[in-house]
Amino acid sequence: CVPQDPRVLDSMLPYLTAYYGNPHSRTHAYGWGGGGAPGKGTRQVADLIGADSREIIFTSGATESNNMAVKGVARFYKSRKKHIITTQTEHKCVLDSCRSLETEGFQVTYLPVKKNGLIDLKELEAAFQPDTSLVSVMTVNNEIGVKQPIHDIGEICRAHKVFFHTDAAQAVGKIPMDVNDMKIDLMSISGHKIYGPKGVGAIYVRRRPRVRLEPLQSGGGQERGLRSGTVPTPLAVGLGAACEVAQQEMEYDHKRISQLAERLVTKIMSEVPDVVMNGDREHRYPGCINLSFAYVEGESLLMALKDVALSSGSACTSASLEPSYVLRAIGTDEDLAHSSIRFGIGRFTTEEEVDYTVQKCIQHVKRLREMSPLWEMVQDGIDLKSIKWTQH
Amino acid sequence: MAASMAAASGGFVTRRLLRGAARGLSGGRAAAEEPEGAVVNVVFVDRAGRHVPVRGRVGDNVLHLAQRHGLELEGACEASLACSTCHVYVSAPHLERLPAPDEREDDLLDQAPLLQENSRLGCQILLTPELEGAHFVLPKVTRNFYVDGHVPKPH
Repeated sequence: CVPQDPRVLDSMLPYLTAYYGNPHSRTHAYGWGGGGAPGKGTRQVADLIGADSREIIFTSGATESNNMAVKGVARFYKSRKKHIITTQTEHKCVLDSCRSLETEGFQVTYLPVKKNGLIDLKELEAAFQPDTSLVSVMTVNNEIGVKQPIHDIGEICRAHKVFFHTDAAQAVGKIPMDVNDMKIDLMSISGHKIYGPKGVGAIYVRRRPRVRLEPLQSGGGQERGLRSGTVPTPLAVGLGAACEVAQQEMEYDHKRISQLAERLVTKIMSEVPDVVMNGDREHRYPGCINLSFAYVEGESLLMALKDVALSSGSACTSASLEPSYVLRAIGTDEDLAHSSIRFGIGRFTTEEEVDYTVQKCIQHVKRLREMSPLWEMVQDGIDLKSIKWTQH
Repeated sequence: MAASMAAASGGFVTRRLLRGAARGLSGGRAAAEEPEGAVVNVVFVDRAGRHVPVRGRVGDNVLHLAQRHGLELEGACEASLACSTCHVYVSAPHLERLPAPDEREDDLLDQAPLLQENSRLGCQILLTPELEGAHFVLPKVTRNFYVDGHVPKPH
């Protein structure tokens, strides 16, 4: 889990106490994002991604932004275009939005990924149809941390004149993003992923060339008519501040987090054999590491490490007993998928915390392997694939 | 007052003033004047789905043309590019023959309810010969939507 940066809290407090005016109670006729505290927030978010402040719309979080982008664009252009392209490793809310569109008569291509978690650009090219309205590919994967080739995808989409949406919740503020360099037309942003408050996010919607979408929420026409509802001023201010801080700290954070990640992985892998890192080694964000510990049951390891905040899979899928679909998409064996742990390292992670986690992890992996009949069989040289397991 | 003004000035100007005054008094529902320019026949489709054929002229403003013929196309800002109430849907082949919207028109279209790909602001469309046969469909609601069926009168 990601704590809120104290500087973000500082920026929000006045708007939770003294400044409680409704940001929309103004008499000026038109023009959006220009005034008041939320206006400043849009400028701070825009600066971080190379956009214009008028292109930033506040939402309740990246889930809403993803819903808006996928369903909104698809439905607006539905009279002529009925096809969407996405990947098999997208966040649940993107996949669920796509599934919901399929029940409305849309056709969705879910691109597979290679063993390293990245999409094959040639497969993407081949997937385009004359009636494709949107391509949605996340920048950094929340489970295994891989970074998709966004620049290349943007070029391809532009060449086909198809809108490109990216769920950048795990990338914004952590790696440099520029909507014009990367030819991005829509982008989802999450507040709490960049040490801002929970309950707020944003969506970037390009003005030139104009992207249109059917709004999910009807009402007074706030936020350019795309997202009615009073903008949550304290949260919007917080998100803006989080973006500004992230821009300042990005380089330093990235360097520090890379070092800590290297430390964690090297120490674990040097002490414990049969550990697999999931996802491409090079094209990744360092702060999200997913390791599979063979012959160890994942939930037991998680329970043993419960004083360290980790997850098996990710928060949104932890309720389901099925192993992660992301790991399945990269070809991980089912038993290995069950034994996977995701380590998140961030701005506030200390070296002591990493060392503690590493030590506990090594200790419990060894302990659980001692108890594991599979481990015993492997040590005896038995090939597990040759076993015929019987049902009792 | 109109009569005395007519006495003071003369001829063509008088006729225009009188007609203008008459139009104002009757709330803009009088039949169209005799504008210059070649004829362009277009069809308005009102909110009830009725097709209303209209003889326009080259250079006519679509919003004012509609209002002159009693169609309930609102023009809250009186064609000053500051609202979205004159929102119309343009028939397919004619849509491409219009000049691309100004960024300000695009910004206002963003705020129009029931936006579609073939949406434009009526006050920004001037009739040209290529718009012969164009259909302009009024959307079911504007930003000034009233659930009691009220339609604001043209200003």
